[in-house]
This record gives sequence, C-alpha cells and structure tokens, in this order.
Amino acid sequence: MARDEKIQGNKVAAGLTRRQLIELNACTRCGECREWCPVFAQDQREELTARAKLGALSSFVDGTLSEPERQKLIDALYECSACGQCHVVCPVRINTHELWEQARLSLVNAGIPQPAGQIKQLAAIKEFNNPFGKSRNERATWAEAAWKAGLLKAPLNFWKEQPSPIIYFAGCMASYDPELQPVAVQSARLLQEAGVDFAILGEDEPCCVSKLRRMGDSAFPGEARKRVDQFTGMGIDTIIVSCAGCYKGLHSDYARLWPGAPKILHLSQYLDLLLTQGRLSLKLKIPLLTTYHDPCHLGRHNQVYDQPRRVLRSIPGVELVEMPRHGAFSSCCGMGGGLKAANPEIQHKMAAARVREAEATGADAIVTPCQTCYLGLLNGVKEAGSGVKIFHLNELLVRSICPEVTHESVKIALAGITA
Amino acid sequence: MIPVELVDYPKPWLLFQATACLSLGYMAFAFLRKWYGWARGMREPTAAPGDHRRPLMIWLAEVLFQRQLLTLSFSRWCIHLMIFYGFIGLALLPAAFFILKTAGYFALSSTFPRFSLHPEGYFIFKLWGDSFGLLLLLGLIMAGIRRLTLRTVRETSNQGDVILLGLLLSVTLSGFVLEGLRLSPMPAEIAHYSYVGRFFSPPGTYTLEQLRPWLTACWTLHALLVFILFAYLPHSKLLHSLLAPFIIGMNAAGEHTREDIYWPEMKKYRATRSRQG
Repeated sequence: MARDEKIQGNKVAAGLTRRQLIELNACTRCGECREWCPVFAQDQREELTARAKLGALSSFVDGTLSEPERQKLIDALYECSACGQCHVVCPVRINTHELWEQARLSLVNAGIPQPAGQIKQLAAIKEFNNPFGKSRNERATWAEAAWKAGLLKAPLNFWKEQPSPIIYFAGCMASYDPELQPVAVQSARLLQEAGVDFAILGEDEPCCVSKLRRMGDSAFPGEARKRVDQFTGMGIDTIIVSCAGCYKGLHSDYARLWPGAPKILHLSQYLDLLLTQGRLSLKLKIPLLTTYHDPCHLGRHNQVYDQPRRVLRSIPGVELVEMPRHGAFSSCCGMGGGLKAANPEIQHKMAAARVREAEATGADAIVTPCQTCYLGLLNGVKEAGSGVKIFHLNELLVRSICPEVTHESVKIALAGITA
Repeated sequence: MIPVELVDYPKPWLLFQATACLSLGYMAFAFLRKWYGWARGMREPTAAPGDHRRPLMIWLAEVLFQRQLLTLSFSRWCIHLMIFYGFIGLALLPAAFFILKTAGYFALSSTFPRFSLHPEGYFIFKLWGDSFGLLLLLGLIMAGIRRLTLRTVRETSNQGDVILLGLLLSVTLSGFVLEGLRLSPMPAEIAHYSYVGRFFSPPGTYTLEQLRPWLTACWTLHALLVFILFAYLPHSKLLHSLLAPFIIGMNAAGEHTREDIYWPEMKKYRATRSRQG
C-alpha cells in the first residue's frame, strides 16, 4: 500500500463520522439502490450506484483503492444529485445522502477539489452572496419592478424599514433569475391576497448557502453561522421560503447551529395553512389534469408530501393523478446536489425521464412547488420533446385567485421595467 | 423409547484447537483493525434521550422481521429469512449445549439438563438442528438459484459473493453429511428424528468401525470449513449480519418519526417500484 494513499485515506476517514465509516462496511451489496437510482437509470455504470460508492469509499479510506478506481469514485460522488432515494430503499437504511455530502467535504479537506462547474458556483456564492455572481443591489429589483408594474396589491415592506415577525425569503434563484422571478412576485402577491403582514429582507436577504453544504464546501458552517447571527435578534416568528433548497438549508442544515430557530415553513405549507383558515379564496376554475412532482429537498429530505398536494387539490377544476414514482419514491429531476453544475447532460436526461413518466399518466401538466425543480423539468421537456406543461404551484393558484400575475405576464412586465 | 447410544469416533482435538485459535484469533485481529479504522472518524453528538419504544419497534421490525425486504421482494424476503433464522437456530444449538451443561454442572434444576444432554433428550437437539439446518440449506440453494437465473443479480455478483455462498453451502452440506454418517449405524426409530440428515446417510449397511475414519474426516472438514468462515467473516459481505442491525438501530433512533420510510403503505410501495428508462 502506497504511503500517500494511506495518508489520504486517513484524512478522508477523519472527515466522516464513526457511524458513516461503519456504514461503509454494513452495505450488503444487495443492489436495491441500483434498481431505484435515477442517475444510474440514465447512465448505467455500476460505479454510480450507492453500493459501488460505499465499497470504493471503504477501500479509499483503507488506502487500498487503485488510482483509476479512485478517479471513478470521485467522479461518481459528484455525478449524484444526493436525492436520497437510495436511503429510502436501502434494507440497512444507510443514510446515503448525508454520507455523500460529508464525503465530498472530506475529499475537499483531503485536497481533492470539486468539479470545475461547482467550484465556479461556490466561489460566486462566497464572493457575491448568490450563485450568479450578481450584485447584492439587484436582489430585490423584482419587488420594486412588480409594484411598478401593478402586479402587487401594495408595495412590499422591507424589514429594515418596517420590521415584521413574518419574513418572506425568496432565495437567490427567484430573486435573480428572470425565469423564476415570477415565483417571487406570485408568492408575495398570494401572501398579500391572504392579508398576511410580512416583510422581505431585500438587499439584506442572504444566500442560504445550502449549496455549500451540498457540494462539500468547508466554509458552510461558518457562513451558516453568520446567517443565523443575522436572523437572531430580529424578532422573527416565521420565515416563509419558496425555494425547496433554501427550505432544506434553513430548516435542516442550520438545525444544529440554530437552537430556538423561528418557524421555517415552505410556501406550500404556509399556503395550505392559509387555505385551511379560509384566508385565500380560489375563484376561477382551472380545468387541468395535473401530476405532482415531489422535490427531493421537500419530500424525502423533509417529509413535506401532503400539504402541497392539498393546495393543488383545492384549486377548482384541477385534478391530480400520481406518477408511479411519487412521495418517498419520487424520481429526482437531477437539479439537486450540485449535479446540474457538474454534469448538466445527466440532469437533462433525468428530467426528461421524469417528464416521460408524467406523460404516461395522461396528465397535461406537471406541478411542482420548487423553483429549481421547475427549471429542471423545463430542461426535461426540451430534452424529451414533450408537450407536457410545467407549472410552479404558485402559477395555478394565481390563475384562480389573481390571473393578472401569471408567469408570462410577470415575466413580460418585469422585463419591460428592468430593461 | 429405544435407548440411544451416541456414536463415538476419534476427533483430532489438537488440530481443532489449533485451528480454532488461529481462526478466531485472526477474526479478532481483523475486527480490531476494523475498529481502529472506524475509530478514525468523528464522534457524533449523542441524541437527546427520547421515546425508545418506537426505535425499538422499528429495530424489531427491520431486523427480526426484515420488513424492508418484504416490501421489496417476497422471494428475497423468504430466502433471507431462511438463511438468517437458519443461522441463528444453528448458532443457538451449541449455545444451548453450553448453557445446559453449565446448569447441570452447578446442579441447577438438573432434571432438564440431564434429560437434554443424555440420550433421553436426544430428539430435541436432532429436531432443532435438522430444522434450522434445512432452513439454511434451502435458503442457500434458493439464493444460489436466484443468483444464477436472475440477470440483474447475476450481472452484479462478484467473486466475493460466489466464494461466500459456496463456503456457506459447503459448511451446511458437510454438516448434513456428517449427520448422515452418524445416523448410518443407528436404528431407524432413532434416525428418523434427524429427518433431513437421514437422507445424507450413505447407501448400504456399515458398521461403526467401517464408518469411523469417514466420520473423523467429515467432522474435521466441517470444523475446518466453519473456521475458514469465521476467518473470512470480517472480509466478506457476511459482515453485514453484525453491522446492519447496529446501523438500523442507530438510524432508527434518529429517524424513527419518518413515516414515509419506516411505516410505508406496503402495497403503494410495491406499486411504485419501476425502473425509469
């Protein structure tokens, strides 16, 4: 055994927990993970499966993995959306997605960096506080533009000007990406329709930095701590998050750092609450046969399955038909875990497979409450050449409640104003 | 009842003890190395004390009943349970001997130890051993057939899987052959308690004198195979038999509230199993 390999193996082992090291040896190699893995379904290489990664990682930490196999393992660790499907089906219940994220971090600490695509995104997050490398000043332009365009009932409150115990946290994607800005506008409008007194953080809204955790960046705990410190003492009671990735970040990744955290709810959970309280009135009928795509970060990782479905079912005219894989077995669209940044082709194929699965149900549209999955599924529609429509959950709600803020109309209005 | 005369034959105890020391010593060394390997990792914060009932229920369901396997595949579940309980049953046999002998030695309620360890109680151990041995044998044969006939299983089998399966099968078969040889000179009224072992008796009639060298050879082979299995255990996937219950318990303690994976609706679960193309 080469001395260097042993030293590096020790470094990687030191970055994993004892339980995770035992898990590497507990795998029975039964292959159930292979049957369900959405990445393997598109690129049938054994090294992509959880069992192969567990075996290779075990040899790596023992310093007995050959150089070609080592490279295969490193590639496979990043050709993974960390969707957690393998955890759900594993007969030994190995907590795989936690392990993949920790292994990435451990590899980085041992001197093995992430793929170039991820490094670029991580650098942007750390430098600009968003993955696009855009200025902080542009973060809330959507809110101002939406008010000017008459898409909101009232101008949005900025927390530093008018503090409120309820915060709407739009996230980087909906704040900066023109394709997703309608999600932020619609979310704010829906909250206004329900009479919720809330504020946004505007330029002060930080990136949740959960991508740092997903991609194994060692700066995550420190950056997350800064966010927790920022929120602490603001008197916040509830944070409403419209991005499933941010929801996982604030709700789950920060959990250990944030004792006494406020209520962190995904927008779909909050809308479900508002509908239950009768604070949102759905007026117009939307005749549409839909199928629901569970975002991994919301479903498998946080067990939010029912509330978004209840919201969807509450819309007059909307029918819901489930895909064969749904709930805890929902197939990932490939947008998570930094996979899109590292390997966009695989993401497109995974999303296309999901779109085809939806098509087979006879549904006219796929609805998802996650803005990232929404983008991912749009890639899938293109890749599959499908006619299935992709809707964010907000879109169907606003069509029933306030049809002047549909996705297209918001996009056009914002484009006109920001131009 | 016909009095039972236990079949006696020479056993190479020195070889047995030397091999046992080597095999078990190596196994202990390999586990110690594994332990040091695992100890390189970080300690996790201990979970806050909470409700232990639910994690325990999960552990029992997942380990003793192997519910997850049942939801995935009925045939796999049957095969795995046969091997699992076959092993446990056979492992309990020497343990039962030891306990009864110890109890008898201390004259603790000596009626049952005496009954069990002397010819009167012969049938208890024979029925027990043959029943669990049969479970194990059937499970291993079915696992082998599954591995040979199912393309997905065959394609993903590696050398280690084949060696382990072969070794387990050799241990089980050599045990039954030994039992068959032991039964050969016994009257049928006694032999029928070993309802599986009797089918492994050599055809024809043999005296104990004629059988002794074969008995010794078979006993030695069986013992050696068992010791090879012990030495191979830390390097084989059989290691999961020790680690999986531990990991299931650890993860159940942290995730026991997850209804989506621990308490899924079984029918729905099966229905969703489809490969994406």
